[in-house]
Amino acid sequence: MNRVVITGIGVVTPIGSTREKFWSSLIEARSGIGPITIVPTERLNTRIAAQVLDFNPADHFEPKRQGLLDRFSQFAVVAARAAVQDAQLQITDEIALQAATIVGNSTGGMNTLDDSFYRLYGENGIRPHPLTIPRLMSNAACSLISMDLGLKGPTFTVASACASGTHAVGQAFQMVRTGLAPIALTGGSEACLTVGTIKAWEALRVLSPDTCRPFSKTRSGLVLGEGAAMFVLETREHAIARGAPIYAELLGFGMSADAADITAIDPDGAARAMRAALTDAKVNPADVDYVNAHGTGTLLNDKGETVALRQAFGDAADHLAVSSSKAVLGHSLGAAGAVELAATALALHNQIIPPTANFEEADPECDLDYVPNTARNAPIKNAMSSSFAFGGLNAVLVLGRA
Amino acid sequence: MAIIDDVRSIIAQSLKIPVEKLTPETRLEELGAESLDVIEIVFALEEKFDIAIPLRADEATRLTKTNDGGGAAKPGQSGDQELPFSTVGDVAEIVEKLVAAKAAAR
Repeated sequence: MNRVVITGIGVVTPIGSTREKFWSSLIEARSGIGPITIVPTERLNTRIAAQVLDFNPADHFEPKRQGLLDRFSQFAVVAARAAVQDAQLQITDEIALQAATIVGNSTGGMNTLDDSFYRLYGENGIRPHPLTIPRLMSNAACSLISMDLGLKGPTFTVASACASGTHAVGQAFQMVRTGLAPIALTGGSEACLTVGTIKAWEALRVLSPDTCRPFSKTRSGLVLGEGAAMFVLETREHAIARGAPIYAELLGFGMSADAADITAIDPDGAARAMRAALTDAKVNPADVDYVNAHGTGTLLNDKGETVALRQAFGDAADHLAVSSSKAVLGHSLGAAGAVELAATALALHNQIIPPTANFEEADPECDLDYVPNTARNAPIKNAMSSSFAFGGLNAVLVLGRA
Repeated sequence: MAIIDDVRSIIAQSLKIPVEKLTPETRLEELGAESLDVIEIVFALEEKFDIAIPLRADEATRLTKTNDGGGAAKPGQSGDQELPFSTVGDVAEIVEKLVAAKAAAR
């Protein structure tokens, strides 16, 4: 079995679209949540989201090409290019033929779908744009990455709602570890801040009216976000041989299904995924210093996740630093696991624990150390990044210091 | 038809139980209503009466349980007035207030 490392990180997020800006915003608790400006708000009750506001597609794509890419594919391709550049990776013919491209997204081109159907049903349009299907298909992002970078190995999309990004990276990790692919380009992307999608989330009544306060007693729900994070994974041997930068080592991957409720977290299922990841990583609970939590900011998730952490870590939970980046990133659904993995890898790389922003008041039912509001310098040997999806699908990665 | 009858029939339909089983005193919790059930009931009431009931899923979870913490819905957008949401009668009362407010606004 190969040892697998992260050598490149590319991000497009509401708190920054370079690795440096993303990291500084994260540790300074600078929030990307703000008034919705990218779609008309007349029909929305929700006033806030975490939008990527500094992204201009024309900076990245020729006008003709741009028409083929939905916003979620644009984010994905731009993050993938940045990851490859960050990894200082030359894509030779040999690498191109074998590299895997595995991307997580919970939906697909929702902007395309929303626009197209609005024209059809709302404006009684006669014909949708001929590129509607290639733009909106769920695998558009991973296909466009493979086309953009010329990657020709195993390439597919993973969809597991809010765990998509984590499941995708986990899959890529397994492939590099077992030798199925020497290099993988992997991560998650999502851009579904459309009127239709936001209305549908409103109907579920889980959106916060003000902001996202994970694990705080005053938490009032989640805030929708968007973005992408992509990684270059490769064998440690290959990375060292070519003198590549190494951010962190991927040590273990755990998955589980709750087989219970369609929306509510099941602590047993979440804890099983955490334990599976620790077992796979051969890491004892007491040797984990930091958990980047799913922490959506809903009453149920944060309480259930706390129970799950206590179940999986036992007494070691009392010494664990746990933080949720969703307080500044919002919830970017299928991208969330990947964006939060970027936060986790950079925490290991910099040996700084990012805080849980917007933390106001301790909740007796959330009784762990959530690193409230201020980043912490602390030695981190091993870290965990968790995602728990609607539908009860759980995915957890364990990383070690490079 | 009185509002309470519509409320009873919507709750009965949503939870797939005979409407005769529902009295104003019946608690949603004892009917086995979970968070998503409550959200579907609220949706059906909003559609039926053309009103908006501002209730978060978090609150729905808490409120269907009898007086355990919170125990009140905020039927006004800014929480001007708090009302319980645990019995069929509570739900009907919230709907009545919102329907009356809508009529007064006309």
